[in-house]
Amino acid sequence: MKADNIHHPDAAREFLADRARASWHDQAIWFVRQKRDVQAKQLPEWEELRKLAEQIKAHTLSKLDDYLVQFEENARRNGVTVHFAADAAEHNRIVHQLLDARQVKKLVKSKSMLTEECGLNPYLEERGIEVIDTDLGERIVQLRHEPPSHIVMPAIHLKKEQISELFHEELGTEAGNNDPTYLTHAARANLRQHFLTADAGLTGVNFAVAETGGVVVCTNEGNADLGTALPPLHIASMGIEKIIPKLEHLGVFTRLLARSAIGSPVTTYTSHFHRARPGGEMHIVIVDNGRSDILGNPDFYASLRCIRCGACMNTCPVYRRSSGHSYSYVIPGPIGSTLGPSRDIKKHGSMAFACTTCGSCSNVCPVKINLHEQLILQRKRAFDAGTLKPAKKMGLLAMRFLTQHPALMDAGGKAMRKVVPILPAFIKDGTAWSRPGRELPEMPEHSFKELYRRRQEDKQ
Amino acid sequence: MSSSRDAILAKIHRNRPGGPALPDIHSVPFVTFDDKFAAFAGLIRNLGGEAIWLADGQSVADVVAQRWPKTGRTVDLTTMPHEEAFTPHDWHDVDVAIVPGELAVAENAAVWISHPDNIFRSLYFLTEKLVMVVPKDKLVDTMRDAYGQIAIREHGFGAFISGSSRTADIEQSLVMGAHGAMAALVIFC
Repeated sequence: MKADNIHHPDAAREFLADRARASWHDQAIWFVRQKRDVQAKQLPEWEELRKLAEQIKAHTLSKLDDYLVQFEENARRNGVTVHFAADAAEHNRIVHQLLDARQVKKLVKSKSMLTEECGLNPYLEERGIEVIDTDLGERIVQLRHEPPSHIVMPAIHLKKEQISELFHEELGTEAGNNDPTYLTHAARANLRQHFLTADAGLTGVNFAVAETGGVVVCTNEGNADLGTALPPLHIASMGIEKIIPKLEHLGVFTRLLARSAIGSPVTTYTSHFHRARPGGEMHIVIVDNGRSDILGNPDFYASLRCIRCGACMNTCPVYRRSSGHSYSYVIPGPIGSTLGPSRDIKKHGSMAFACTTCGSCSNVCPVKINLHEQLILQRKRAFDAGTLKPAKKMGLLAMRFLTQHPALMDAGGKAMRKVVPILPAFIKDGTAWSRPGRELPEMPEHSFKELYRRRQEDKQ
Repeated sequence: MSSSRDAILAKIHRNRPGGPALPDIHSVPFVTFDDKFAAFAGLIRNLGGEAIWLADGQSVADVVAQRWPKTGRTVDLTTMPHEEAFTPHDWHDVDVAIVPGELAVAENAAVWISHPDNIFRSLYFLTEKLVMVVPKDKLVDTMRDAYGQIAIREHGFGAFISGSSRTADIEQSLVMGAHGAMAALVIFC
């Protein structure tokens, strides 16, 4: 779970204090963006695929209740029990009751941002259930008692030396052995024992197919498969927006997901769950938790098309240089910066400003969410809700006044062009312009307006 | 519980926006491959796997023995009758699992696994080495073609498996053998 008082610029400043580390983070994530580009360019139909995915999702949202009912009926027909949870508390209660009624002591989980959003792990642990996150990255952050910093690569903020140290303490690996293969296989051996002794498995859901009543879970590690093939109880938790109408639509989404997420043509395992393994039982918990409110907001409902690939964070210049832990909401980056403020603008207002409005996120999004436009609209809400710090608020108000008074704007610009070049250096100290990597631009002699006017005159 | 259900569905109905008609996903031409096997085999090499086109007179057993001269417990689901497990945990010490694949996909080296006569799917994920045997004429271009042909045959379960289990969660270094099979071999016969 994240701390309650994260303010993006402050947290980012802290992250950036270690320049070498920040630069490594930036490059490691940019590398994933480049791998995504290589995959996208291999498919001549890439842009058409994005359009199809957008339309399928937009259509589904327009009839979401109908498709949910169809999904529920088909899942029940398969022998699966379907539960609905209005909020995080109800979701956690349902999961706990299922576990408690079957005397479950140990639960193995595969990746699920929804259970992170609901705070399921601490809820269950307080009630005496051992919860083991089994995705390697999630296991690492669980052992470190911290939230994931990325929705697809949860431990991307860590260096292998830190993981080696952690595994030495927690799993008894050799001190100082930083080899990723050695560390991964040590975790494999340890988690294999947990899989074999777990009483229940919980998975997230990538896609829920209304036509068949089945859910699809995509992993590279195989942890969702082991976690559901062994224990007698499988619980799948999903947000209401995970529905797609037909099985054939997976022929669009499975082509986009891994290519967008990690630059692979597909995940190792794309598993379709329609029933429990023989002798077991399967439950699906469908969670609203604020999503139906977003659905009713014309500015933001497109964010519910998201398939959680993380491509928007990998391309985001702000995310790459500030890391997921600088964002107050459980989902960081551009998509988190619209979902978080939609949920609670007072708490997550600073996220709307963690954006240069470059629009790169919208360009890589496989379901074409207008992310950067949504962030601008969230800024307006953050301002109206009074979440801005006084200096930022005054600055914005001054700018508004200036842009509404052109004569004053012209005079101010003229004064700035004359004064800035003769300012003594010490005046810049302590401002944004004194920070490493930044330089005040050279002041031009004439404003754009003056240049334009002269050009028009010359033409005549 | 049911009251939450009805309230959620009613609110969604109230709030749902307008939207386009469902698009026809077959209206767009998707990529095709002149040599599907070459595409498949080239891809799987980077995904912790290997693909073999069985020659005349060669058997699956020959290929497996050649690839891994010394093996531990081997389970072969391509023959009938085959070994059965009483619990899903019984497969925990399998070294080589040979399983039938219904079809293979050229664009991403995935094989569809959903076996009507297998009880516990845990075999596919517990085994150290996974051998998937696919008919030579069941190689399609893309996932769209694959979804047009597959069926869920195994106790409600089916999976596309592409190469071996892997992770890059430690500093983006790709490591084979995260939780599932450490090696994958696809034999077309």
